[in-house]
Amino acid sequence: MDGSSLLEQYLERCDGQDDISTSPQLFTPMSPYDVDFPIQTTEDVLFGSQFNQPKELPTDFSSVDLSFLPDITQENKAQNLFEDGHEMQKELDGSTSNEDSSILTDESILAYPDATQATPEASGGCPPLTPIAPMTPVTPASESSGIVPQLQNIVSTVNLACKLDLKNIALRARNAEYNPKRFAAVIMRIREPRTTALIFSSGKMVCTGAKSEEQSRLAARKYARVVQKLGFPAKFLDFKIQNMVGSCDVMFPIRLEGLVLTHQQFSSYEPELFPGLIYRMVKPRIVLLIFVSGKVVLTGAKERSEIYEAFESIYPILKGFKKAS
Amino acid sequence: SLRDTVPRGDCETVCPNTPCFSEVAYSQSTGQKEQLSRCLQRGIRRVQDLCKVLQLPTVFEETAVSYVQRALQHPSFHLVSLEKKELLGGCCVFVTCRQHNWPLTMGTICSLLYAKQELFASVYLSLQKELELSVPALSLADLVKTHLNSFRLFQHAADIPAPFVENKEKVVARTMQIVELASETWLVTGRHPVPIVTAAAFLSWQSLQPATRLACTLARFCKLARVDLPPPAHLRLKELLEILLRMASQLAWLRVFNLDKKTVVKHIGDLLQHRIFLLKSAFCPEDEEEQQCRRPFASDSAVTGEEPISDGEIEQYLRGPEEIRAFRKAQAREVAGTERPRPW
Repeated sequence: MDGSSLLEQYLERCDGQDDISTSPQLFTPMSPYDVDFPIQTTEDVLFGSQFNQPKELPTDFSSVDLSFLPDITQENKAQNLFEDGHEMQKELDGSTSNEDSSILTDESILAYPDATQATPEASGGCPPLTPIAPMTPVTPASESSGIVPQLQNIVSTVNLACKLDLKNIALRARNAEYNPKRFAAVIMRIREPRTTALIFSSGKMVCTGAKSEEQSRLAARKYARVVQKLGFPAKFLDFKIQNMVGSCDVMFPIRLEGLVLTHQQFSSYEPELFPGLIYRMVKPRIVLLIFVSGKVVLTGAKERSEIYEAFESIYPILKGFKKAS
Repeated sequence: SLRDTVPRGDCETVCPNTPCFSEVAYSQSTGQKEQLSRCLQRGIRRVQDLCKVLQLPTVFEETAVSYVQRALQHPSFHLVSLEKKELLGGCCVFVTCRQHNWPLTMGTICSLLYAKQELFASVYLSLQKELELSVPALSLADLVKTHLNSFRLFQHAADIPAPFVENKEKVVARTMQIVELASETWLVTGRHPVPIVTAAAFLSWQSLQPATRLACTLARFCKLARVDLPPPAHLRLKELLEILLRMASQLAWLRVFNLDKKTVVKHIGDLLQHRIFLLKSAFCPEDEEEQQCRRPFASDSAVTGEEPISDGEIEQYLRGPEEIRAFRKAQAREVAGTERPRPW
């Protein structure tokens, strides 16, 4: 049974009617969301039983999956969410172990250890459900996906504008690491916002790991304060966001082989090297890592709007490669 | 004398009546052009050697050579290390093969070049990006044919038990079908292609004479066939068997047998014959695990970045004077320990 053709049948039926549908209870009041239910891969679960007997109105909704409705489910799952969110953070902040990811030279790209599984775990990459105005069931061409990528990592730089004695800093700071033979910078960490800084003797500093621009700025200021307290005349000049990484889940598997064929000029898909497809979007200039599981990583942004824009551009393309097994 | 052979330039006006040389271009005096042409010559030679070893059609050589020329003239490849330049020829052959759907794997070309896959990958990706080359995906169907060529089970030999020898065409045909099945059931996307072919070849071979071959493991099969057993092949095999079992559950006359991962092999022929129907009924969307959408962990979006930072918070990260003393002592001891000559 092909999910999309059933949906098309439903839509055709609705277009030809004055009333909205043969199963009004299901469609109109319960779903102020986009017809495609992008968060739901099993749209047939919703429509399937109805379509087998299109004339009959289901009186029993016990078989219908209503988990997309926020009010009902989220309170119950609040406890699990808390735990899952933390696990996700740990997963993402840790260094990648996938050897294939070494081909990606951008240090802020995160490779998911389980990205290749077709059944994604709830990884916290799911977006908040933003209610959209109720709409008639027309095939959405220009509507937004309803999915908002979550920011996972921000890389920023700042100039402390003074020469630093790294050995001295490593001696007198508890949260500092310094192995000059391995790397010519002090690695410093703070707990809140949970971040890492690379502090160079020139006074330049890189701050990584924050989940928002504001958090990155706050963290950078805290590192600068630590350096000040250690006796250096540190300033806080030219703070700049250098890179932003976001991720989300389109919630359906993607035929990467097909995507690389139709979007050759932007795509690189080499399963011998890396399980994901590397999509280099031109406008905005963002690199997307697209995995068969439907998970998408977006990187290269200087502003968060670029991440959102890039995802909205890729979403309709990905939908074209969505297939029921 | 030199004066006769070298044309005089402006030097004559500066220092008249003295023999001198005319201006020489930087690229000439440092041999930059010669270097480039030497790289190019090496690259071309590498391409020619590879094409010979791989027995590629002549048109491939022409294409690959043109890529090498374009690459070496591209500014981003000028300053690339010699080690990387050495791989350019191989990369260009690889790209050419892929563009002609000639199933050459990266593993094969790396072993021919004695190159680390990481390094090859970086050169390949740069080449693809800088020259804006479109490289189609590796065709699994073609890979099956070439990969099975290296399997040593199609002719009788002293170390191969007679019932293990199999007709090559049969194995190829069945392996293709199993690989196609794998592709349709999402086992291929994002995965390394060779282990899938290995697992499929094993199942195909086993299923052609299950009575005598069911006891043979994947590892032994690869050893007999004198092929490498790539680690993911075990996982691919497991996944394929799961798919086959799900399909078998849709065939009425097989349901009674209560098949398991071993016994389902006996029925692979049947399953492949009816695969189109079985895939539809075994994998309807209702069976897929429901994705439960969860709201992301609420981030503290209230952060402005300009919050005041308390002294106390910063001081927790600083060592006290005693701590510093203790740390210094420990450091000194460690250094002294490593410098002192050992008594033994």
